[in-house]
Amino acid sequence: MNNRVRERRESRRLTQAALADLLGISRQSVNAIETGKYDPSLPIAFALARVFDTRIEELFDPGA
Amino acid sequence: MTRTLDTAHGDRERTAAYNRDFWPGMVAYGVVLAGVLAWGGLDGTSPWRFLWVALPVLPALWVLRAVVRHLGRIDDYQRQLVFRGLSVGFGTAMIVSLTAGFAMIAGFTWIGLPWVIYGAGMIGWVVGQAIASRR
Repeated sequence: MNNRVRERRESRRLTQAALADLLGISRQSVNAIETGKYDPSLPIAFALARVFDTRIEELFDPGA
Repeated sequence: MTRTLDTAHGDRERTAAYNRDFWPGMVAYGVVLAGVLAWGGLDGTSPWRFLWVALPVLPALWVLRAVVRHLGRIDDYQRQLVFRGLSVGFGTAMIVSLTAGFAMIAGFTWIGLPWVIYGAGMIGWVVGQAIASRR
């Protein structure tokens, strides 16, 4: 699944580690989400949307 | 700056908690094992040797508890990686065990077989987890 997590994180000048702490997950998991290796669970997706003050659909795109 | 290779505070806390759980058990295991091997008289005839040989199980249970508690602390993605590694390790140990079993039926003598199975399982776990982490 495509996502704009890295783009949003960088625009907020957050490190992966800082975002991981905000979400309560590991930095490794943030990296895996950003690189598309791991599709996050619903609670993490909602937490990401909350952190970036946006909607889940604007962060994640199921792709073609 | 958006440095990406720094460590999250939560990661450090989880690692520290795991170390606090794991290492006392591991050190106790080493001490008990060394004591049993040195003074347990495992090659003797005393019936006590059966008790001594089972004694390292107690600290090993502590280590097991540490691993289970760690699985409860890590997040979904990390748990996924650990389980993939564990499944490779378990599968490897089972395949080696079955193959050795059939080989022994055919008359092959395999000295130290439990250690071979243990080693195969552990190597499978480590290699499996390393591959899962890189994918």
